[in-house]
Amino acid sequence: MKLLTHNMLTSHVKGVTKGYPLLIKATEVKVNEVDFNPKFVCRMIPKLEWSALVQAADQLGHREDLPGELVPDYEKNEDFLKKVHRVLLEVEVIEGCLQCPESGREFPISRGIPNMLLNEDEA
Amino acid sequence: LGFSCFIVFVSPRSEDDARKAHTQLNGQKLLSGENSVTLYLSYVDSEEARVHFPEGLALVKDFVSPEEEALLLAAVDWSTSDQGNEAPQKALKHRRVKHYGFEFRYENNNVDKDKPLPAGLPEECLAVLHRCLQDGHINVLPDQLTVNQYETGQGIPPHVDTHSAFADTILSLSLGAKTVMEFRHPDGRVVPIVLPERSLLVMKGQSRYLWTHGITPRKFDLVPACETQSADHSEPDLGSHGDLTLSKRGTRTSFTFRKIRHEPCCCAFPSACDSQGGSSPSPPSQPSLPSCHANATRLEEEYVHRVYDAIASHFSSTRHTPWPRVCHFLSSLPPGSVLADVGCGNGKYLGVNPQLIPVGCDRSSALVQICTERGFNAFVSDALSVPLRTDSCDACISIAVIHHFSTQERRLAAVRELLRLLKPGGQALIYVWAYEQEYNKQRSKYLKDHNKPQNGEKSKDKLGESQEPHEEPSVLTASHLDNNHTGDLKDDSKMTEGKLSVHTNRTAFTSQDLLVPWHLKGRKTRVEEESSSGLHTTKSSDSKLSPSVDTSQVPGGSSVPVFHRYYHVFQQGELEQLCIEVTGVKVQTSYHDQGNWCVILQKE
Repeated sequence: MKLLTHNMLTSHVKGVTKGYPLLIKATEVKVNEVDFNPKFVCRMIPKLEWSALVQAADQLGHREDLPGELVPDYEKNEDFLKKVHRVLLEVEVIEGCLQCPESGREFPISRGIPNMLLNEDEA
Repeated sequence: LGFSCFIVFVSPRSEDDARKAHTQLNGQKLLSGENSVTLYLSYVDSEEARVHFPEGLALVKDFVSPEEEALLLAAVDWSTSDQGNEAPQKALKHRRVKHYGFEFRYENNNVDKDKPLPAGLPEECLAVLHRCLQDGHINVLPDQLTVNQYETGQGIPPHVDTHSAFADTILSLSLGAKTVMEFRHPDGRVVPIVLPERSLLVMKGQSRYLWTHGITPRKFDLVPACETQSADHSEPDLGSHGDLTLSKRGTRTSFTFRKIRHEPCCCAFPSACDSQGGSSPSPPSQPSLPSCHANATRLEEEYVHRVYDAIASHFSSTRHTPWPRVCHFLSSLPPGSVLADVGCGNGKYLGVNPQLIPVGCDRSSALVQICTERGFNAFVSDALSVPLRTDSCDACISIAVIHHFSTQERRLAAVRELLRLLKPGGQALIYVWAYEQEYNKQRSKYLKDHNKPQNGEKSKDKLGESQEPHEEPSVLTASHLDNNHTGDLKDDSKMTEGKLSVHTNRTAFTSQDLLVPWHLKGRKTRVEEESSSGLHTTKSSDSKLSPSVDTSQVPGGSSVPVFHRYYHVFQQGELEQLCIEVTGVKVQTSYHDQGNWCVILQKE
């Protein structure tokens, strides 16, 4: 699971109102090399919840020097874009789980894939 | 068209070699003098080829010696002039039967427990039964014996031995000749088992209570040439078999030993249990349209989710060409749009427009696995409850998904959920399979390929092409699973109200709710993208219409597993009507595309 995906995921357990963002508990994290496409990264940034991204990167210990707030004029800041690229697309959780911040319910991540299926009583 | 087709089985050293051979040789033409031969290749994944015995089933080879076999066979007096009612004999349509201990009544597939037969079990069986006790196959001596004698070309339709009549373990001794017995699971899986002469088949648990077993009336079986396993209980490992042979059936006599049950059955398979109100044991239990949410989820679990997980890689290999009009929709989205593909399958659409930010989800972890392998972002989830925030997506697509929901409510809920994800002003594209396969006098590709000449095949065995519009070829099957010889068991070939029928691929739909077969093997290789007249490879094991040579079996004697997927095909206007029921939604466009009904919706 890449952090881009994590940024979109939310807990959908019945009755939960504050299910976003999910907490990440990772037991295996991989860092891949992904081609850097600055235009693509620029387009993604406005669609992100920045604080959730930073928090997730932190939880994985891969935040490095990612700023806590969006840098102004980031479109021309290649340095910054590269940091975003790394955190969003290169860091990957292989094994672990996502935890609902409100109910504590854990969703497993295995072989890089989060399984968000709910039981009958949770849907 | 007059040309011949030869089938050759080759065993390469590894799957890798098989793949390479396939890449290099498939579609190649060979010249031999004036004649040209085109090679078509297909290979079987060794993982798929391995035969997994149903739970509780064991086969013990060489359980009796040839001498004991002769003694047992001699112990049965088939002469029709029986004294009184000692051991009633009936010449049923396909085989001769004799009962000992208790008489089995074919009218209700049960036993008259108050009227034991005077003779009891033949003395000659005692030694064998004690051996079964000693070896731990049974704890209690059986008190009922049914002897079946099958001539070449005779069989017995698939059935489950009545739960209320007999206790758990059922023993079946095969004498005189070998045969192939097929076990069928309600979800459509078929496992053929070679029963050698003098072997003992032990059926317990699921193999006794849930899977049906039957013998297709045939004159020949395709079986491994040599059975090299020494271990009695091993499952055949097809990876080590290269040789096949046509084995002519001889006269086979089976001795089936059972213990009469005196209290109601309380097994773990109520759906197949007559003591627990389930459907009476019958050929592949036919599901009905669900009446409630619980049944709906159960039906979808059996006939959608389990199937996709089982067929994932084969399915994925047939889903490679994105449909043009879907691509058009995707390409028209503004760069940087967040796209949710709900029911993304193998991720076919996730990479179509590289300027989007796509995320896919599917109910099948096997299919999501394929997406991940391809580098796409995907997760496992149900379409009725997608873990994405409300108003978070610029666009959504749901291609060939909603037709798998078995009630109107669930289909509506799926549309609602899709719309929930959309930002106001965002668009959703939905494709569902159409009841009307012919539209504007244009037959869909799914239907068109039905009439293409196929290597001079008879229409019954005609190779169908894609299972769904635009998709890869597959095989035709009979539209009802059991045919000629249901006379021996209760007549359940009659369609009862609400029962789902099995569709015949490549034909027009006759019902909106149905089960569509998927043949796992018979993976066709294409010369070009167009579906072409293909190989004669696999024939469905369901087509028991003729006891002809079944050359479709793959090495090891296993025939093609058939899976059934549930579909609700939509009539014209039905999808639109469904969408209109959702508040805050506008139907922008509605069209028919190659056998599908499609809508583009906008969230207000």
